[in-house]
Amino acid sequence: MSAELSQKGQVLRAVNLSAGYDGRAIVSGITVEASPGKVVSIVGPNGSGKSTLLKSLVGVVPVLAGSVSVGESDITNVAPERIATLGVGYVPQVDDVFPPLTVKENLEIGGYLLERHLVGERITAVLDFFPRLKTMLSRKAGKLSGGERKMLAMGRVLMLTPSVMVLDEPTANLAPQVATQLLEEFIRGFADHGTTVLLVEQRAKAALRISDWTCVLGGGRVVLEGVPADLERDPVFVESFLGGGARH
Amino acid sequence: MSSFGFGLVSAAVLAIAAVGFTMQFAVTNVLNLAYGSIMINSAFVTYYVNTHAHVTPWVATIGGVATGAIVSWALNRFVFTPFQRRNLPPITIVMVALGMDLIGTFGLQAIVGGSYVSFQQSQGSEYHILGMFLSGLQLTIMGLAVVVLVAIHWLLRYTRLGKAMRATSANPNLARNSGVKTGLVISMTWLISGALSGLAGTVFAMNTGVFEATSAQLYIVMLLAAMFLGGPGQPYGAMLGAVTIGVATEISAAYINPEYKEVIAFLVLIGMLMFRPYGLFGSEKTA
Repeated sequence: MSAELSQKGQVLRAVNLSAGYDGRAIVSGITVEASPGKVVSIVGPNGSGKSTLLKSLVGVVPVLAGSVSVGESDITNVAPERIATLGVGYVPQVDDVFPPLTVKENLEIGGYLLERHLVGERITAVLDFFPRLKTMLSRKAGKLSGGERKMLAMGRVLMLTPSVMVLDEPTANLAPQVATQLLEEFIRGFADHGTTVLLVEQRAKAALRISDWTCVLGGGRVVLEGVPADLERDPVFVESFLGGGARH
Repeated sequence: MSSFGFGLVSAAVLAIAAVGFTMQFAVTNVLNLAYGSIMINSAFVTYYVNTHAHVTPWVATIGGVATGAIVSWALNRFVFTPFQRRNLPPITIVMVALGMDLIGTFGLQAIVGGSYVSFQQSQGSEYHILGMFLSGLQLTIMGLAVVVLVAIHWLLRYTRLGKAMRATSANPNLARNSGVKTGLVISMTWLISGALSGLAGTVFAMNTGVFEATSAQLYIVMLLAAMFLGGPGQPYGAMLGAVTIGVATEISAAYINPEYKEVIAFLVLIGMLMFRPYGLFGSEKTA
């Protein structure tokens, strides 16, 4: 199903990146690369700079040093609306929909860059993927439940057939069952189709299950990274993020 | 009943003005207190085109509308935006807007003087409708307001630009991440809302009959009352707020000294802020 919604990915790369507000770096010296067909997850404690990192990749937070590129294009400090044209879809952790707009209007804004005659077709494809949204097209996004809202946020991004998906805690405030479905069925599904996925996730265990590579942020820097299987053998990582001896 | 008729005409003028004022606040987060001065400057442009080019006031209105649009756009581009980029507190922008209002009003007065002027225009035939006596001009103003409000509804609800305006208003960063050029959307908002201020200024001047440079100086109170009554940043709320304030102030003027019209509007505003600060159409988040 995801074959109709996302496309073959491009490499999203940040090299020696520092980013923050008012000239003050929140994250520093970060090098991370997400490749087509892979899920790269970023985990870390609250305040470690995960969201700031993602925002700097999509042009919302200024990059103070280093570079960001997608495919062959340098997108360092490029405007978010320009980055969207390069196939990068971003779902923020909060404020991920337009509450006063209806579900249909949210999807239409998601397809803002499409030619007008293609918008309806894309909405149909997105609704086939998230059939639950079909019955609530005229409902205001602000009235949706957490799970419905997150589906809409993903649907909005899928309107442009992204090649790179940047997702900031997509399972926040979702029931465990819905979160598992979102991660294992949808997000992993996009990567399996060839899309590049960069994911910030609080549920470390769940993130590791679907990831090909994981970076651990602490104090605005990458403190540990590797394939999930290796990280699960790291006692410090296990103690900090997997709840002691738990591995699954 | 005649007070109710006057109220409807005042409401029609206020509705045109309030929708533009609210759109500016909703999309750009600027409480443009200079709106009244742009209205009266536009009215004077209409007046000069009317009297010097010898065209009807309705044709001359094109000049007033264009003035409102261009001045509003320029005000945002060269005054408000540079201040906003510096991330100053919202009160700073309010003070800047207040300063621009005074510059606009008294600058105009310095140029045109303090004399009252009026359009070269007939009031038209008088009509007796549902116990109200209304002139052809008043009916035209009311009809124009209906057309404008329907057009704004159509713009916001059914056009790509209107949806982008609402998206930008709700969440500008997310709009940009969706590919919306919010800078362009904001410029279009100032042009459209500015055009509405030009049109509102002209019909305001037509409705009052005679006007001078400071005639709209207190009109901002009516605009604020209409906007807060409907809910800050809610164009549909502003329409309802305008009708309520327009009718309430005119009916009160029939029983109290008409000089207190703005006082009545201000009382409504304060009452609304006390009991429902987010207005009739707003939510706690928008207040």
